[in-house]
Amino acid sequence: MRAILEDPASAAAMGAVEVTEAQSGFDAMRLLPRARYDLIITDINMPDVNGLELIHFIRKSEQYRTTPLVIISTQATERDVERGRKLGADAYVPKPFAPELMRETCARLLGTARPVSDG
Amino acid sequence: MKALVSRRGEGRSALQRADELGKRAEYLAFMLGTEAYAIQIGNIVEILKPLPITEVPRADPEVVGVMSVRGRLVTVVDLKRRFRLTRSFTMDKKSRILLVDAADELIGLLVDEVLQVYRLAESEVEPPQVLGTEQPPHVVGIGRPAGGAVLLLLDLAPLFLD
Amino acid sequence: MAENVGGGGGRGESAGDKAREEFFSEAQEIVDGLSRDLLALDDVCRRGGSDAELVNDVFRAVHTLKGLSGLFGAAMMSGLSHELENLLDDLRLGRIELTSQVLDLLFQSVELYGRILAAAKGDAPEPAPEVKALLAALGQVAQQKGGGGGSVVAQYELDPGLLGVLTEYEEHRLRTNLQAGLSLYRMRVQFQLATIDSALDDLKAKTRPHGEIITFLPTGEGGDAESVELEILVASRANLGVLRGAVAGPNISVEEVRRRDGASNPLASIPPPPLDDRSRERDQTDPYGGVSMSPPTTSGGDALLDEINAAGAGATRTSAPPPAPSFPPGPGGQLGTFPPGGIPGMPVPGIAAGGAGAAAQGASGGSGATQRELTLRSVTQTVRVDIRKLDHLMNIVGELAIVRGVVARLSERVRLDPDLKEIAPDLHRLHRSFDRHLAQMQNGILEVRMVPLGQVFDKLARIVRQISREHDKQVNLVITGAETEIDKLIVEELSDPLMHMIRNAIDHGIEDKDERMRVGKPAVGTIALNAFQKGNHVVLEIEDDGKGMDPKVILAAALRRGLVTESEAREMSDKEVLTLVFQPGFTTRDDVTALSGRGVGMDIVKTNISKLGGVVDISSEVGIGTKMTITLPITLAIISVLMLEVAGRTFCMPLASVEEAIVFDDAMIKTFEGREVMTQRGATLPIARLAKLFQLEGWRPGVWINESAPTPKPPEVRPGRKAKSYCVVATVADRRVGFIVDRLVGQQDIVIKALGKSLKKARGLAGATELGDQRVGLVLDAAALINEVLASSTEGRIAGALEGPRSPKTGIDPRDARSDGGMS
Repeated sequence: MRAILEDPASAAAMGAVEVTEAQSGFDAMRLLPRARYDLIITDINMPDVNGLELIHFIRKSEQYRTTPLVIISTQATERDVERGRKLGADAYVPKPFAPELMRETCARLLGTARPVSDG
Repeated sequence: MKALVSRRGEGRSALQRADELGKRAEYLAFMLGTEAYAIQIGNIVEILKPLPITEVPRADPEVVGVMSVRGRLVTVVDLKRRFRLTRSFTMDKKSRILLVDAADELIGLLVDEVLQVYRLAESEVEPPQVLGTEQPPHVVGIGRPAGGAVLLLLDLAPLFLD
Repeated sequence: MAENVGGGGGRGESAGDKAREEFFSEAQEIVDGLSRDLLALDDVCRRGGSDAELVNDVFRAVHTLKGLSGLFGAAMMSGLSHELENLLDDLRLGRIELTSQVLDLLFQSVELYGRILAAAKGDAPEPAPEVKALLAALGQVAQQKGGGGGSVVAQYELDPGLLGVLTEYEEHRLRTNLQAGLSLYRMRVQFQLATIDSALDDLKAKTRPHGEIITFLPTGEGGDAESVELEILVASRANLGVLRGAVAGPNISVEEVRRRDGASNPLASIPPPPLDDRSRERDQTDPYGGVSMSPPTTSGGDALLDEINAAGAGATRTSAPPPAPSFPPGPGGQLGTFPPGGIPGMPVPGIAAGGAGAAAQGASGGSGATQRELTLRSVTQTVRVDIRKLDHLMNIVGELAIVRGVVARLSERVRLDPDLKEIAPDLHRLHRSFDRHLAQMQNGILEVRMVPLGQVFDKLARIVRQISREHDKQVNLVITGAETEIDKLIVEELSDPLMHMIRNAIDHGIEDKDERMRVGKPAVGTIALNAFQKGNHVVLEIEDDGKGMDPKVILAAALRRGLVTESEAREMSDKEVLTLVFQPGFTTRDDVTALSGRGVGMDIVKTNISKLGGVVDISSEVGIGTKMTITLPITLAIISVLMLEVAGRTFCMPLASVEEAIVFDDAMIKTFEGREVMTQRGATLPIARLAKLFQLEGWRPGVWINESAPTPKPPEVRPGRKAKSYCVVATVADRRVGFIVDRLVGQQDIVIKALGKSLKKARGLAGATELGDQRVGLVLDAAALINEVLASSTEGRIAGALEGPRSPKTGIDPRDARSDGGMS
């Protein structure tokens, strides 16, 4: 994931990206207030706080109420993804995914999408 | 821009396919009797001066014996006998053993003298057919580096397949 | 001495091969774990229980296999994993039930994984039809999928918001627990962000003995920049008081989630059932799903915790958890995963001060979690090591042993030199210390090679289950000594012979149910698999309570197959008759059964075991049962040998095969039907001259040395006296041969190494070893030589008569070497 987002191809699509990785829902909750993230990507099935709860938490916070939020799934059921959307996720990228799809989705959400010829 | 990625930590090490090693066209040339031979340098683990070699009863005629290289057992093969260039077995001060990794074992090739490393361009290699149509599978070509040397290029795999 | 070719270190094995090999071993490891989990699951199911965590483990294993096989383009494995993952997902979400039919499919898939892996390694054909059949069966099961349970959840006073963020799996767990009659509790806990990891582990550890944590939810209340409040939903059989007591802490509140109809939970006040005696370690920490929910634990965990809390932080150090060798005691007690310095850049409330209160908190945070921590550690602190790397280390030890020899000689010289008298004691001490450490290192490496036999026993348990089902015989496998350790290489080679013996025991030994009832035996047969260490050996017993082996039946079968003659048969004792089953071609059955008669007989078992340096014995009583006993060396790496010399060459004879060595004189020989024998203690002993056997002509050290080493000379023989020689009597099982050699050099422990493939024609050699002066010594394969000598008794005579004097066909002709004058 880090490799995909920090790839030059991503920089071309949405500018340079600095990726922080959280190992669980808790980890994410702990990290979120400590910086200003422009994009959040989360799994559903995680130890401790699950992805749905994380989304719920994120959408309640002042800071991240509108931050683009993408669900990636490892082992998530359709129902869970649907719930994630309802709770405020903006997009869902099923696994396994092509790096291009990931980049495109992120760029679209960030409003930075530009025609390829620009890059 | 900053992005946070939150996901289940996959505990297992990610196995990664390693890139194919690029092929080298570097050959090590050596003498067997009066003829010069060469093998790709990537095949050679090490060049050794002969260590004490213990003969092995009942082994094939071309087997000189076994020796221990830093604790690893190496079967030493006399290439001249393998190629039926001679029935006799000689070792002298110029003799060297080329350590090669062949089909699951370390093999030492006894050669009369090690010459030098040649980097051969494709244009400097002739196909084995120039020697006649029926060439043994381990002869892969003739190397003609600048300077006039003529090298018989060998592929080790067919030699140790059986 | 060695010249490295400039940078060209391309060892034949490319990095791709290495990754692939790692894939195989990793996949195999996962499949083995899968098999263990399934056996445990089978066990739980048969007791009418279920174990959500086990199902999850199985699911994760298959998920990982899918990922791995995808990465390596292993299509068949990937396809199978994909379907299995779907099945397991349905299973863990409660969409289908874990029936014995489903379990069978899961067991089958383990079997197929094994075969796919074997196929990928080129050992067997791909089991394509079987995989196809299994995939079809999996598809059928998937169609039986039902919906989730009723709306039991709706009966509870739960915030719809909370229900909205449960994943499907969590919802399923909640439902299952409530359906099983457990009570639901809501905990509110305030966590410091800095210490949340350890505090959370602590809370989980405290809660687990009482129930299952369904979910964690941040409340968004009461938190600030440094803390967060979580709501934790717990399903438990315990009552509120017990749970409160278990998790008590300053920032924790626990309340019961009431049912909307106000009824109290039907089961909440019923005392817990007796503790299930499942032997899994995880038992004490993991929640049960469904009806076999774990009652309050009887493990020392909580009691210990209370004690520690009462005694304060100081007690923690003394009441250390079970040994975890490299688990360093943290400051102020076991702090679990909490890094002493806290998270970089984060405020560290409480802990950093190191005051008594903080330390106590740390201690309680750790010790409860430690139980769990340890089990985690045991997984994460293991490394997978290629056994060749250990061989490499052993080689280095061998080299150091050579250095030790040099130092010993040096030390001796220094001692005798008056000028160096002063340093002699120091050098001697140094040598002694070096010696000691080297021995420790050698032992250490050998220890690393050791693995518990349980590895292979797990596989056997699966086989027993499968065969007994196939055969409609009920068999109980009782295993003792699974923790007995043995060399990894031996374990690898053991599974086939053991599997065959177990198959035999079920097929030929255990009677069918009706027959057992008729003779007054319990309907369920028993196979006992016992392992224990005995000196430098490991003994394995496979014992069944079946019908036993009848010597009369065996003898009749052997006669029918011409394995013995009538006159031989009359002479044989019952014990000798039993050993006939090890003869190639022996079977008591005329029809080939689906089980044991598949061409691999007990002879192969015996051969495989003796290749490992082991022996098999049988004892049996008609009507009572049969016991096979396998005795194996603990390790293959180091053996004791007798060093001997023949025509100047040094050989090593494994001491395990040497019965005795006697001074030999040609006068002792008698020729009997053209072969040489001697009489020893009234019995005939066939003899073989090793020099002749190996065609070693003329006295020669048999070692080619290039540098100007002094050429050793043959020992002088005084005129008129014959050179002395020796007879080394070697035995394997009950076969004996006397080998004539020139000299006995002595006894030595050696590290044996296999000869390369290109020397496979050199029969009679088991391997080679380094002798200490850079020379290599060959190790004789006593069993092979004895068999060769005894087998050639007939052929040899004929061949000898036809060929006349043989010229050496193999090895180096010494005359060639001399004539070229190449040896400088």
